[in-house]
Amino acid sequence: MADRVERLTNLLALLLETPRPLSLVEIAGELDGMYPVGLSARRGAFERDKAALREIGVPIESEIVPGGEYAGQSRYWIDRARYELDDLELDRDEMRALQVAVAATRSRAGSDSAQLGLWKLGGGAAGETSPVVATMPSSPALAPLRDAVSRRAVVRFRYRDVDREVEPYGLLLRDGFWYLVGFDRVRDDRRTYRVDRIAGEIEMGEGGSFERPRIDLREAVPTDPKLLGTQTGHVAEAVVWISASRAAAVVREVGDDRVVRRHDHGAVEVTVPCGNLDAFRSWVLGLMEYAEVLAPDEVRAEMISWLESMAGAR
Amino acid sequence: MTTADGARSGQPRVRPRPAEDRLRRLLVMLPWLMERGSVPVAEVAERFDLTDREVATDLELVSMCGLPPYVDELIDVFIDEGMVHVGVPRLFTRSLKLNSVEAFELVAAGRAAMEMPGADPDGPLGRGLAKLEAVVESDLATTAAPDTGAVTVDLGRPALGDVVADAVRRIEWLVVTYWSASTDAVSERRIVPRQVFADRGHWYVLADDERSGERRTFRLDRIESVTRTGEFADPVDEPLPTPGEWFTDAEVERATIRLADHARWVVERYPVDEVVDHGHELTVTLPVGSHRWLERVLVRLGPHATVLAPPELVDVGRDAAARVLAVYRRGDGAGASVRS
Repeated sequence: MADRVERLTNLLALLLETPRPLSLVEIAGELDGMYPVGLSARRGAFERDKAALREIGVPIESEIVPGGEYAGQSRYWIDRARYELDDLELDRDEMRALQVAVAATRSRAGSDSAQLGLWKLGGGAAGETSPVVATMPSSPALAPLRDAVSRRAVVRFRYRDVDREVEPYGLLLRDGFWYLVGFDRVRDDRRTYRVDRIAGEIEMGEGGSFERPRIDLREAVPTDPKLLGTQTGHVAEAVVWISASRAAAVVREVGDDRVVRRHDHGAVEVTVPCGNLDAFRSWVLGLMEYAEVLAPDEVRAEMISWLESMAGAR
Repeated sequence: MTTADGARSGQPRVRPRPAEDRLRRLLVMLPWLMERGSVPVAEVAERFDLTDREVATDLELVSMCGLPPYVDELIDVFIDEGMVHVGVPRLFTRSLKLNSVEAFELVAAGRAAMEMPGADPDGPLGRGLAKLEAVVESDLATTAAPDTGAVTVDLGRPALGDVVADAVRRIEWLVVTYWSASTDAVSERRIVPRQVFADRGHWYVLADDERSGERRTFRLDRIESVTRTGEFADPVDEPLPTPGEWFTDAEVERATIRLADHARWVVERYPVDEVVDHGHELTVTLPVGSHRWLERVLVRLGPHATVLAPPELVDVGRDAAARVLAVYRRGDGAGASVRS
């Protein structure tokens, strides 16, 4: 049995070179001795090879013979125009800059796809050192979602136990998470979804099925997660006491205009959006004993009952 | 790229290479070789992150492939005295298109780099990225004039990022005032920044800390002020830690925590050693940087997290919640006076 790389290379070459679609019988004949003789073993080996080539991005076309002696037979070929990368005509400094960009970002999952992409573009190894580096959270959902955005294909997926049907507008990385921004067809409203919370498979519809508005995703998603999911126009706010030791940092974060009171020894009171209660609670409790919710009463009561459930009510 | 088996760490690599990976590498190597004609084996190996032997094995193999009557030999390539020579280009003269993962990761890397301190939006990266996005979009888009901007990265550039990143390039001593979460105190320290990095929603600087004599990680948003000194240090010879090693020092204490479905974000947010997914809940083992950190995480997670081990950490969340609750109950606090 031939080396698998040799067989895959020959199969790829054959399908690229053939002037007409080839059946498996013809392929096995051309690649003399490379595929098993037994019919089911041969089909199995071929299917594995086909999957391997598709996995690395080779577009294998197939057709089923409609009639005649070979009706129902599958035939395969590769369309060179769909196989070959267009020349990006990158200048040397532009290629260098992309290499630096790849060196400066790391997929948290350890994926090397960006490097493989660089090589396809004709670039070299990105190298390891960069004075500034960002890790990129990854998810298998990202690449298909990006494709769906470009193709303008509606996607269906499960999110927070509800089936969604979404016109995807774009992907935004913010605050360490990827978000999908899109139009929820069921809710008839623009929505934002955390990509890592999308459960299971993403089903993709036909391309070109909606108009993608030209929006700035940075604007579309509030920077403050405490505002996520809240209705525009109605902003619930809480008053929070901040200890002197954390006051400077918190004021820097929320802005001077949110300070409603300054205490003698440096403590402050600030107003903070609390429409998204989960995000608000997380923010306040991240400050531990250096913050206390003062108002409104129901939010303060909610904080107390959260803490009591942990500490044991007295 | 860093691989799980530490293939880049310098020792001879012995690694199984699946057929798909070898072919993938060949398909990027061949167009490049054909353009160059003759290249030293060592240069090919370095460029494509392979050993000399791997390069030789794969090229010899592919030179034996052939498909009469289409082509007698696929690739007219041979290796002689440490040089790869390519004759008449026949097949595989052009690269395969980017697959969707490669396209996504390249665009995302470019977009992220544009957000980094010191990046020039009108420079070569911006131009190269525009060309890349145009090709990626036109391969997928259904309209003649495809719309770019499918991927946006917002790393939340910190105010002090530029000055600290500059100091990394200059290897300059800085004096910083830093608020430490573990001690709740602001102190002045002298540091030499070695690397600035963004991870899980925060910016950090990895720096040599004069006071402790160790390399420490500081959160940029906790640096309250920076003063340049005009004094410079030496470059470091040893490689900087790779991402993932930043926080996962083997000597750091570990905790095992049960997380409800609601608390899955922890796995995204913090480095974890191990995750066991039970469907409706998870068991994770993660490094505990400091008690203060663990307290904050547990209080925020509330009923959605339970520390299972080690025993001395089991009550950390309960005790921390009691301490925060005491603030609400003190009665003499600012809260009481405002509400009355």
